[in-house]
Amino acid sequence: MAVEGINVIEREDGVAVLELDLAGEKVNKFSTPVMQHFDEMLEKMMSAKYKGLVVISRKPKIFIAGADINEIKDIVEPADAKQKAAEGQRILSKFEDLPFPVVVAIHGACMGGGCEMALACDYRICTDDKSTRIGLPEVQLGIIPGFGGCVRLPRVVGIQAALDIILAGKAVDSRKAKKIGLVDDVVPQSMLEEAAIKKVLEVAGKGKRKKKFQAKGFVPGLLEGPAKFVVFNQAEKMVKKNTKGHYPAPLKALEAVKKTYGMSNREKALDIEASLFSEVAITDISKNLIHIFFMTESIKKQTGVHDKDVKPKAIKNMGVLGAGTMGGGIAQLGADKGIEVRVKDLNNDALSKAFVAAASIWEKKLKRRRMTKFEFKEKMGRVSGGTDYAGFGRMDLVVEAIVEDMKIKQSVIGETAKHMPEDAIIATNTSSLSVTEMAKGHPKPENFGGMHFFNPVHKMPLVEVIRGEKTSDVTTATIFDLSKKMGKFPVVVKDGPGFLVNRLLLPYLNEAMYLLEEGMSIEEVDKYYLKFGMPMGPFHLIDEVGIDVSVKVAKIFHEAFGERAKPSPLMSKIMETGRLGKKNQKGFYLYDEKGKKLELDQSVYKDLGLSTPTNPYNAELCVNRGIFAMLNEAVRALVDDKIVEKAEEVDLAMIMGTGFPPFKGGLMKYADSIGTRKITDELLRFADDVGARFKPAESLMKMADGNEKFYDKF
Amino acid sequence: MGNPRDVVIVEGVRTPFAKAGTKLAEVHASELGKVALTELIAKTDLDVNQVDEVIIGNTGTPSDAVNISRVVALNSGVPQNVSAFTVHRNCASALESIASGYERIKSGTADVILAGGTESMSQMPLVFNKGFTDFMMNLQKARTTGAKLSLLSEFKLKFLKPRITLMEGLTDPFVGINMGQTAENIAKDFAISRVRQDEFALRSHQRATAAHEKLAQEMTPVFLPPKYKKVVEEDVGPRAEQTIEALQKLRPFFDKKYGTITAGNSCPITDGAAMMLLMSREKAESLGYEPIASIKSYAFAGCEPSRMGLGPVHSTPVALKRAGLELKDMGLVELNEAFAAQVIGCQEAFASDKYAQEKLGLSKAVGEVSDDILNVNGGAIALGHPVGTTGTRLVLTLMKEMQRRSDVQFGLATLCIGGGQGGSMIIEKEA
Repeated sequence: MAVEGINVIEREDGVAVLELDLAGEKVNKFSTPVMQHFDEMLEKMMSAKYKGLVVISRKPKIFIAGADINEIKDIVEPADAKQKAAEGQRILSKFEDLPFPVVVAIHGACMGGGCEMALACDYRICTDDKSTRIGLPEVQLGIIPGFGGCVRLPRVVGIQAALDIILAGKAVDSRKAKKIGLVDDVVPQSMLEEAAIKKVLEVAGKGKRKKKFQAKGFVPGLLEGPAKFVVFNQAEKMVKKNTKGHYPAPLKALEAVKKTYGMSNREKALDIEASLFSEVAITDISKNLIHIFFMTESIKKQTGVHDKDVKPKAIKNMGVLGAGTMGGGIAQLGADKGIEVRVKDLNNDALSKAFVAAASIWEKKLKRRRMTKFEFKEKMGRVSGGTDYAGFGRMDLVVEAIVEDMKIKQSVIGETAKHMPEDAIIATNTSSLSVTEMAKGHPKPENFGGMHFFNPVHKMPLVEVIRGEKTSDVTTATIFDLSKKMGKFPVVVKDGPGFLVNRLLLPYLNEAMYLLEEGMSIEEVDKYYLKFGMPMGPFHLIDEVGIDVSVKVAKIFHEAFGERAKPSPLMSKIMETGRLGKKNQKGFYLYDEKGKKLELDQSVYKDLGLSTPTNPYNAELCVNRGIFAMLNEAVRALVDDKIVEKAEEVDLAMIMGTGFPPFKGGLMKYADSIGTRKITDELLRFADDVGARFKPAESLMKMADGNEKFYDKF
Repeated sequence: MGNPRDVVIVEGVRTPFAKAGTKLAEVHASELGKVALTELIAKTDLDVNQVDEVIIGNTGTPSDAVNISRVVALNSGVPQNVSAFTVHRNCASALESIASGYERIKSGTADVILAGGTESMSQMPLVFNKGFTDFMMNLQKARTTGAKLSLLSEFKLKFLKPRITLMEGLTDPFVGINMGQTAENIAKDFAISRVRQDEFALRSHQRATAAHEKLAQEMTPVFLPPKYKKVVEEDVGPRAEQTIEALQKLRPFFDKKYGTITAGNSCPITDGAAMMLLMSREKAESLGYEPIASIKSYAFAGCEPSRMGLGPVHSTPVALKRAGLELKDMGLVELNEAFAAQVIGCQEAFASDKYAQEKLGLSKAVGEVSDDILNVNGGAIALGHPVGTTGTRLVLTLMKEMQRRSDVQFGLATLCIGGGQGGSMIIEKEA
């Protein structure tokens, strides 16, 4: 396949310009054919008599997006991985060795391989545009920079700044890039090419640049030199703390930097990097992270409906009913993304909670200088409120977040619809009530749907977009699109008890209660799940959600799904002890006034009438009981009830909504890695040993016959 | 019916008023304006893309928001392509905003105008005096350490004496006397006794207190930044427990010996904002609005700076003439209560043939303004007088009261203006 759109143009003044505008692609990226093509071009350039070379992209807001992730995904053999990295390294070294100065002009995203290419240039100039971001995001995909990034970045910006970028997979803006010395100059976009050419002419004939990072000041000098072990040790501690041992890539990247820093033999240093790259590139963890990356990218292209002609409505004015925790969070988020928000509640004291919530989130940003006081004022100005329906006449969409009571909700929805434009949409943020049933309160149920945010709204990235029976395509697409505009990942789900995430979460939480009843200690169970990769253990999660809420939802599920969802008797017992969880500082754990988790509440066993825990089960059994219970329900939701259409939707929802370990690729991906046969056998065993609630779903048993995979079928 | 270019008032909203230094002290004037304007836009379900201009009155001119109208507009969700300007006619700045809007709509230049006023008298700053300003400037210019040191030795303690902008604003720049003293002049001219003034002040409190529910209808609460936890829902000023005895005990403030003007029978300096939606009749009709009132006429007129309180007597006959109406046609009058003495003085002058002939060039008195129709819901003595806002507040309170009464067709809103002017506006009830 011929590569088109990458050309060198020699100017009259002797400066050559390498233009990047990959034909047939939205972005420039380093696929194998592109690299080969580039290699051939370099061959010719080596003997060219240019005064110097300017590298510039002709894509609107992208320099180079990085390597072709699809190619990385497909690597299975370590040798292939190493060869791939080595080939890229060889070409970029060749590029670095061009006999004339090379200036790279960066505008837009300059990621991964793009950044590594820029590092191989003599000078780097970038634009001050917001789209300009330079970084090495590799570790987020479970790999490490493999085209010389681990070797060259520390030499340009020093170890500390380099580790900061590499270990977190970060990208920096133009200001930060200049500050750490990653770029030599920042210019307005209209002057970029001119500035780069000027730079080439200025340095032409003076040979290649020999830039090496020089720390300023005594202590920084020590840390970048003789005492660099301090920096490496510190970094290792941080990485271990952040990854909890689940993600090997950052540690490998650290190793690459540590081993190669200061090494005079470039080829040897690059070889070390390539070896380490090959170790991580073939791991399941990397494959899973790439899988998630593709899922999130695909959400960006989706509309939430099948009909491609359906266009979402633009939302400029949004109403929020209810100024509680969820309402306040939703209002803050909307205003943050430029939507004019109007909150309604019963009185001014209730209303003030929405303002307090919004202000406190932005205030944190203000303090961290992520926001100016002017931006604060502007955003705060977008949140207004009242106790009447003032302003609802121009609302495009209203999110309902009032008390979880069907009758009240239906009547409020009907009343609200009267004050809104005829074609406006109302979306409920209910977490447990039927959207179809609630729609009966709306005079036009097609304009009604669910928009289920998770708490805390500004942090949790998932929104369940719930289609009631009558919800129209336009309504669904609009809520879907609005969720994306609000920075969330929407997943369309069918109406049904608990929708998707809570439906799957509940058997898991319930199982934790059963484990407690059977003599497991709260701390052990939570610890096992943390080790599995959940962001918090089930008991800690119940405290976060609220014990009262958990009990209420458990009851609803019991009614909906019958025997298999029967709550552990401890559920109602714990309510009677006056524990509500984090909100009253007393749940399974104790909490301080700010909601920080303290130690276990030792009296909880006695209060529940339990004897001292004997911890009869091991980690694997404990975890399997919860996760397989969750999985069994997931099969019913996905296969039988078709709450969502695809296995990957379950995975995205569980990762974004509950923090299901991303390195496992999601619940269904995890199931596929174990195999439906084995899971079914285990569930059957649990059904015999523990209780009938574990009886595998019919459809799961069918799949088990051929050990079929979810990702192949759904 | 009516002319398509008639100027109608669709709706108005104000914040609660709070005596300077109290509940709204920490709220910037632009924030106060934003609260009122945001609520007005919401209340009227206004499509902000329809707005042609935002005109806001303000006298304090905060140095971090010199064209405060633009700041208020943008923070209230008015689109960036809509222009905005600030007007300053001292105490009548907000009335001027309505008048400016009226002219634009009447002439066909604009169809939809947001007009109003905002003022934080709490936040009027102290400024460095000229000596200190020069000192600082020279210090910046000095290049060598020696030059800097020798300059520093020239520092004088009197540099630290600030100029109090609030006090300077309340002092007439032509004759150099305080506003209170201009009211003393009127009290003496018309022999208005202390007790008459105090009784007037008492009535202002009684009427404002009785009208609590009514006034609440023109207000929207202010949630207090930066935390937004506390909320101000009602005017701070009106005192239900006010007694004549308490008023009588106060000492004259401006003329300690022969004076009658006290803090009790004057208006307090105040924070607050008020906004109004003006439209051409045809625009209002096409958008389906049912306006509350239409503007018949307005007038501004000059008078003696040392008797600025009589301004209304000078501007009102002009406004009446422009409207083709007489004072007796006015069913309700809102006359700003800067000082009880000044309001009573206006009543006297309105009714005086002599004043009409000597000062107004008219053959006979303008007419009577009876207590029954004057400031029926109390006035600035109880509510307060945020200087740049009051004009809007008067028209707002007036039109809301006209709406409540079946027997009132026309109403007059008028106020005196520091520096020696009066402003008047005549409105007619719609629907």
